[in-house]
Amino acid sequence: MVETSSKEESIFRSAEMSLIQLYIPTEISRQSLYCLGKLGTIQFRDLNAKVNAFQRSFVQEIKRLDNVERQYRFFSNELAIRNIKITEEPYMDSESNDSIGSLVKASEIDEYVENANILEERVSQLIDSSETLLKRQMDCEQALHVLSCSDEFFKLNSTQSSDLIALEDDDDQIALSSLENGGAPIVNFVAGVIARSKILALQKILWRSLRGNLYMNFTEISKPIFDPKSKKFIDKNCFIIFAHGDLLLSRIRKICESMDSDLYFVEPDTVARSKQISEVQNRSADINNVLDTTTRSLNAELSAIADELYAWWNVIKLEKSIYQIQNSCYYDLGRKCLIAEGWVPNSELQSVKSELFKISNNSTDSETVPIIINILETTRTPPTFHRTNKFTVGFQNICDAYGIATYREINAGLPTIVTFPFMFAIMFGDAGHGFIMTLAALTLVLNEKRILAMKRDEIFDMAFVGRYILLLMGIFSMFTGLMYNDIFSVSTTFFKSGWEWPSGFEVGDTVFAKQVGVYAWGFDPVWHGAENALLFSNSYKMKLSILMGYMHMSYSYMFSLANHIYFNSMIDIIGNFIPGLLFMQGIFGYLSICIIYKWSVDWIHIGKSPPGLLNMLISMFLSPGNIEEELYPHQATVQIILLLIALVCVPWLLLLKPMYFKYQLSKKHHYHQLQDNESSAATDANNLLADINNDDDEVHEEHTFGDVMIHQVIHTIEFCLNTVSHTASYLRLWALSLAHAQLSTVLWTMTISNTFGMTGFIGVFATVVMFAFWFCLTVAILVVMEGTSAMLHSLRLHWVESMSKFFEGEGTLFEPFDFKTVLNPGTV
Amino acid sequence: MEGLFFNIDNGYIEGLVRGYKNGLLTQSQYLNLVQCDNLDDLKLQLSSTDYGNFLSNVPSPLSTSVIQEKSSDKLYGEFNYIKSQSTDLLTKFMDFISYGYMIDNVALMITGTIHERDRSEILERCHPLGWFDTLPALSVATDIDSLYSTVLIDTPLAPYFKNCLSADDLDDLNIEIIRNTLYKAYLEDFYKFCQEKLPIPSNEIMLRLLIFEADRRSINIALNSFDTEITPDDKLKLFPNFGKLYPFGHTQLSQTEDIESIKQVVESIGEYKNFFDNSNGKTLEDHFYQLEMELCKNAFTQQFTISTIWAWIKSKEQEIRNITWIAECIAQNQKDRINNYISVY
Repeated sequence: MVETSSKEESIFRSAEMSLIQLYIPTEISRQSLYCLGKLGTIQFRDLNAKVNAFQRSFVQEIKRLDNVERQYRFFSNELAIRNIKITEEPYMDSESNDSIGSLVKASEIDEYVENANILEERVSQLIDSSETLLKRQMDCEQALHVLSCSDEFFKLNSTQSSDLIALEDDDDQIALSSLENGGAPIVNFVAGVIARSKILALQKILWRSLRGNLYMNFTEISKPIFDPKSKKFIDKNCFIIFAHGDLLLSRIRKICESMDSDLYFVEPDTVARSKQISEVQNRSADINNVLDTTTRSLNAELSAIADELYAWWNVIKLEKSIYQIQNSCYYDLGRKCLIAEGWVPNSELQSVKSELFKISNNSTDSETVPIIINILETTRTPPTFHRTNKFTVGFQNICDAYGIATYREINAGLPTIVTFPFMFAIMFGDAGHGFIMTLAALTLVLNEKRILAMKRDEIFDMAFVGRYILLLMGIFSMFTGLMYNDIFSVSTTFFKSGWEWPSGFEVGDTVFAKQVGVYAWGFDPVWHGAENALLFSNSYKMKLSILMGYMHMSYSYMFSLANHIYFNSMIDIIGNFIPGLLFMQGIFGYLSICIIYKWSVDWIHIGKSPPGLLNMLISMFLSPGNIEEELYPHQATVQIILLLIALVCVPWLLLLKPMYFKYQLSKKHHYHQLQDNESSAATDANNLLADINNDDDEVHEEHTFGDVMIHQVIHTIEFCLNTVSHTASYLRLWALSLAHAQLSTVLWTMTISNTFGMTGFIGVFATVVMFAFWFCLTVAILVVMEGTSAMLHSLRLHWVESMSKFFEGEGTLFEPFDFKTVLNPGTV
Repeated sequence: MEGLFFNIDNGYIEGLVRGYKNGLLTQSQYLNLVQCDNLDDLKLQLSSTDYGNFLSNVPSPLSTSVIQEKSSDKLYGEFNYIKSQSTDLLTKFMDFISYGYMIDNVALMITGTIHERDRSEILERCHPLGWFDTLPALSVATDIDSLYSTVLIDTPLAPYFKNCLSADDLDDLNIEIIRNTLYKAYLEDFYKFCQEKLPIPSNEIMLRLLIFEADRRSINIALNSFDTEITPDDKLKLFPNFGKLYPFGHTQLSQTEDIESIKQVVESIGEYKNFFDNSNGKTLEDHFYQLEMELCKNAFTQQFTISTIWAWIKSKEQEIRNITWIAECIAQNQKDRINNYISVY
């Protein structure tokens, strides 16, 4: 019971952590670490930070596993080349532990290694032989192509021999005729195959070296042919070059060979050639047969691997992670045990203890010493761990993206759950758009089990992880939309309007409505389309944003009080919190009260013109004691007092804390040394490793008075300026909500509202087309684009305006040794 | 002013190169590397640097050549990536960088051919950055004339060739002369390009780097031509016509016939003063590299320059040389000489 209740509490402040020390006998160290990895609740400290990576104890084992992983990568590469899919086990729900099997025995790991070695040898042998076969097949194919090409070429020429004769000189004539007639075979040509990309270069060089006397013919081979150099199939061309004289021919051959072309001997005689062709064809058929069998057995081998590879790989990954953890532990050879240190949330201590206890009890060897768990007292700062669930994780991510909270500081993620969607909704206030967003988010939420099992791309995953944020954003903006009385920029008339138009008027007159009551919910629809609608809604939304901002900042500021109390730092309350509070409340708290007071007075009834609050605030600073339009009696006195308070707060904020620090420093100076010794002796009493890793302690910065003073000066300047600028920053709520309302009005009037008067076929057609048009633009521009923009503004209001009031963010994230993260890095 | 428009074309690349520069191994990382006992340890150490898992797909046992090859591959990949991103002036600049390697490749190819080495073996040893399509066809040529008229006329090196068509038959000495003439023409062309086309401050830095390059070549030529039949006039023709030693140093260098007199000439230049100081077992080559690295490091101190690319490539090449040296020392168990690497970052 205690466990469950304490498990849930770490959302307000990060979970309390303990540094524990484990003495694990070497015989069961693997098993225990496996168990801890499955549990995923302990973050191991690196006790060997000063030891070189290759001097650690388990480098050899890791290297061996690295080699296995390399072999697996080799397999998966080959699989990818041959388009064989690796059968992955269905993606497990990250909540469950099912994907992680039980501990694999050390001997089985040896089998895995052995197995990988054998397989690698076999696969690479098969690949080699298939490559040699491919090369021979390529040879045959190319020869065939060359033969058929030259065959065609000669046929073509013999029909047009008269043309050719005119072109060729005497020697060639004789040669050509003699070879066609089956006379003395004078080979005066070179035939071969070359990569298509190189043909131009070859042509150029030949042309140059033959001094322009180049007779060359080439045909493209339609099918890509294997290239043994790059081991890919590439486009190639057949070519045939004529020249006379042995010297020239040998030179051409040399050039062709140097350009990586394959030359083939072609029988000049037609009959001999056809015999040659059939010979090559026979050979090629044989090779194809052998190649087929080889490929088949290779594919069979690989698909057998494909079925298992995923599971094997996971086992190896886990095994490797265990060795990596062991590397960061201290390995005591004399006592034959592994000494590990790590951070565990207090709430999980019990389960860690019981799991380890089970293991030391189960170990068959009765002589093994049980695992000793030692909770250390330490001055180190523990990592920050906020326990989240699927609902809060999105909001926590928002805050973690800005900075990781200091250990045990109030978590900014908790209030964000409400304020983030609410601030968004103020800017996105439209019930219709909110409804669309809610529907989209609901789809994600209701189908989350199925989507979780899918492979998601990056952008979609972002929306999916934030599905609950989206849902709340949608619901909240439906609420604000109803308050603004906007549904797709059109207002509803659910209730009776609070205003009444005069019954009779002439066209062209300006008519004034008379107030008869108050509208029951949000904006009165009668404002919609009224001439002074903008005047009214602007003033209203502007003041509302100031009030919202004031409230948002004020309660954020209260968190800093809670933090100071929790960390027992009185000086921060007196020297930081109180002057800041007075400063802020004296100026903007006062403004907020004035806004509400001004609203609550019926200015027309008492016959006074309402005073401008903006000018009031400005003149409060520029000409104190001077009131142009009075809001309430004794206003001048109140304002002067407030101003004085604010002025006093500045030096208070600036000086008190540094002065106190100086005082402390001078007082502490005398017995500083002694205290230090005592405390270290106390904390290290139960730490056997104290002498070993004292040196890697966190650096405790010694603050000097100068540091504190500079820090405080910056803080004071920043705080005072930020009070003004942050309040002004909340005006974005008004600006974006105005922009959103206006944009949706424009879209409505420009598209669908035009079709409402039309009748007949055109009316039907136009309405359907315009609706589609309007709806698409609404989703794309108003919901997606405007929504993103409003979300970013809301994000900024949280990160800058709210979190600057209390958030320190100097923590480090708790990264437990967890098999789920080992297997799926990047998730969780 | 130069900063105003620089980033339009080159901002991304400069950022990239500065990122690469930050990935260069530092002194402390070298200290870790030299502690390694075998090449697998070296691989482990390198995996925590910018090299990442560049060796992870190589089965053990590792060899020095594999380490060198893989690390060079990484450099070439990065170079080609930058080149594919470059525009206009920068493309030309990158081309110029690769011409140097092309010259080396041409010389290598011809030497290999006249010594009747296997073509594929020579091609393997060619520098990938100086590769061009018709490079293998060089193995066909038997004399300079045909070399030029069949193959090289199509390459960017053609203009540099016009001064060496006079040499008659191909032998080792002549090839070396061809190479140096080509290199001289190339350096002068590059120098002119940097001087005239590059904006401030790229040109200043590049000129500084090229001047050093030219001087290094001049000194090397003078050193290597002691007992040959090259006349002082011919030597003078091989020296690039700029640099700190130009013109008086060149005349003196061309006359020298022993190390002492070269030393005298070189030491008259302030920066080169300690070049011949071979205490600590440092060779002249080491001094060259050391000074080059210093210059490259300084090249990074200015913003808005494309000279960082040159500096980065040279630094990276040095780094690969260092790693290879360390790996070689580890592999051959020569730990006492392992500290002869050059690191300035």
